[in-house]
Amino acid sequence: MRSREQEYREIFMAEALEYYDAMSRHISELEKNPQSEQPLNELFRLMHNLKANARAMGYMDLGEVAHRMETIFGLIRSKEKAFSGSITGVLFGGIDTIGAMIRAIGENQELPNAESLLENLERLVRGEEPILTDEEVAVDDSRKLELSDLVYIQIKKLDHLLNLVGELIIDRDRIFTLGQEIGNPALQSAAAHLFRIADELQYSVMDARLVNVGSLFNKFPRVVRDVATTEHKEVNLSISGQDIQIDRNILQIITDSLLHLVRNAIGHGIETPEERIKAGKPPVGEVALEAAIERDDVLIQVRDDGRGIDVEKVRSKAVSRGLVNAQTAASLSAPAVRALLFEPGFSMAEEVTEISGRGVGLDVVKLAIDSMGGQLRVDSELGKGTTFTLVLPTSIAVKGALLFELEERSYALLLMHIDSVVSLWPEELHVVGGMLLAEVQGENVPVVGLRQLLHSGDEPLASADTEELIGRQDIIIVNYNNRRLGLIVDRFLRQQNIVIKPMTQPLDKIDLFGGVTLLGNGQVCLVLDVPALTRVFLAKRP
Amino acid sequence: MKNRILIVDDSFYMRTMLKNMLTDAGYDVVGEAANGQQALEMAAATRPDLITLDVILPDNTGLDVLKGIRQEQPDVRIVMCSAVGQEVIVNEALESGAVAYIVKPFSEEKVLEIVGSMLQQGNDKSDTSAEPSATPEAGTADTDADTSSESTPQA
Repeated sequence: MRSREQEYREIFMAEALEYYDAMSRHISELEKNPQSEQPLNELFRLMHNLKANARAMGYMDLGEVAHRMETIFGLIRSKEKAFSGSITGVLFGGIDTIGAMIRAIGENQELPNAESLLENLERLVRGEEPILTDEEVAVDDSRKLELSDLVYIQIKKLDHLLNLVGELIIDRDRIFTLGQEIGNPALQSAAAHLFRIADELQYSVMDARLVNVGSLFNKFPRVVRDVATTEHKEVNLSISGQDIQIDRNILQIITDSLLHLVRNAIGHGIETPEERIKAGKPPVGEVALEAAIERDDVLIQVRDDGRGIDVEKVRSKAVSRGLVNAQTAASLSAPAVRALLFEPGFSMAEEVTEISGRGVGLDVVKLAIDSMGGQLRVDSELGKGTTFTLVLPTSIAVKGALLFELEERSYALLLMHIDSVVSLWPEELHVVGGMLLAEVQGENVPVVGLRQLLHSGDEPLASADTEELIGRQDIIIVNYNNRRLGLIVDRFLRQQNIVIKPMTQPLDKIDLFGGVTLLGNGQVCLVLDVPALTRVFLAKRP
Repeated sequence: MKNRILIVDDSFYMRTMLKNMLTDAGYDVVGEAANGQQALEMAAATRPDLITLDVILPDNTGLDVLKGIRQEQPDVRIVMCSAVGQEVIVNEALESGAVAYIVKPFSEEKVLEIVGSMLQQGNDKSDTSAEPSATPEAGTADTDADTSSESTPQA
């Protein structure tokens, strides 16, 4: 990550080069049109800024040149001097020197000597004639043209580049596998080289798309203030982790979600000052927006110290809305109940408020996060506050996946949705109510054969029987919306980064598959969609 | 609530430095304007407690912006920012209602000291309706402090 000094230096350089370009333009304009005020005002302003910035960075020599140049332009502006005769030469030379100094700073080289320029500028202030050396009188025709080091690029172009890299990675894997199959050493070594280059290219393209989370976070102070005013709440917003970087399109996708969560935190979470005082809390509520890195993921949290989520209220509401039956509802753990908040159509707002009650529920937020393979979690303590956590991939291009085999075909599940992988003997599984259960990390997790889940059609799943299981069972524990589910597969293959392609018609009607990826051997591998699998399991379980 | 500050400066570098300094110190930087037009719009939209205002701006001089904002929001505290060499304009700014000024290049301590004391002064006034402080404030030591205090609005 860039340090602040580095960031300042980069900004200084970019701006200084921009100023230099503009100065060169304006002084030429002034020469053509000495009575024109606009270029003169600009030259004066740019010198002034360059002086202040250079001094702040500690480049005192550059600051001094800019200072004296500013003085002369000031005198011309106030008509005490005219832009003519020898002054013209000194000022043109001065801007050239400034350009050379900025370039030297950029290249970490010693700054060119500006003594004679400074003396001439001093003479001009005193009304004396400058002393120009032959070199300074001669028109410098060896002048180099300098272009800015920064380019602006449309995100569309970066998207295209990223798609091409995705294609390239797939072909690369294919060529790599071919090389091994054919066993030609020359092909293998060329393929190995291609492998490395493509990897680096992919990394570079992904890197070019990264932006600071701060570019979104910084819009929130205003939002919080406006929402708090409308809701008659007092809220203090704190922001951290602005420097964490994430793919620009991911940031774009979560913008509305984050807005929704922050509005919710103020609208439903934070109590009115009177309520807070009654509850023994400070009258001003705290809302925090935080970003952090966890392994390969970016975590974004929206935290409030408000009233928290009343699990019992959610439970009864879920029953009254027909989301679960009363019996199931009673048996659900607190996290499972809170997860119901993300079910379509569930809205906790008791009365519709102007800001947060627009009928858009957390299910919309959940869908947006799901769409890019992320996760949404909620944690809450009644009376203490609520935390929503968005677990997001850093990049949309490549995702970590676990490859496994089922009926001699390869499938993939995104690592993001996988809690753990276990191998269990049939005696370690129990049947409760026709459903297989495994104890994983002290919690009973329902387990189902993926084969049965995929092939059961519209029928409910048959009652489970441990007698039908032979030998150790490879089970992948997936997690969606705080619901864990074990999937029995034939064989684990390996962990691999994959590039997911959307499926073409008519396969994409089958919503169990999130997309396809091509493996190195050219085989098509279906990527299973964990949210969809979980939904199908809940609908069909015995 | 945190004090809300609007930064007006045509240099991205200066805005970034100021924003980092003020944000780190716990202030709420509600906006950054790069020219006079933006400054007037953002001041109206964000109603800040304090504005740091660069003396020299591309479209307007800082003075026009100062006068424009003070006409609409007489209570906002305006701190002028300027590199040396613009003392004439700075003096005029202080006469036109700016409460203090900061000379670039500035140190973090200086910025926070001036911003802090100016906000404190603003709060004291609006809280207690006390007489305007006649003591010269930080950053105005070598200018006409009396003029600046006199032209400070009373709550």
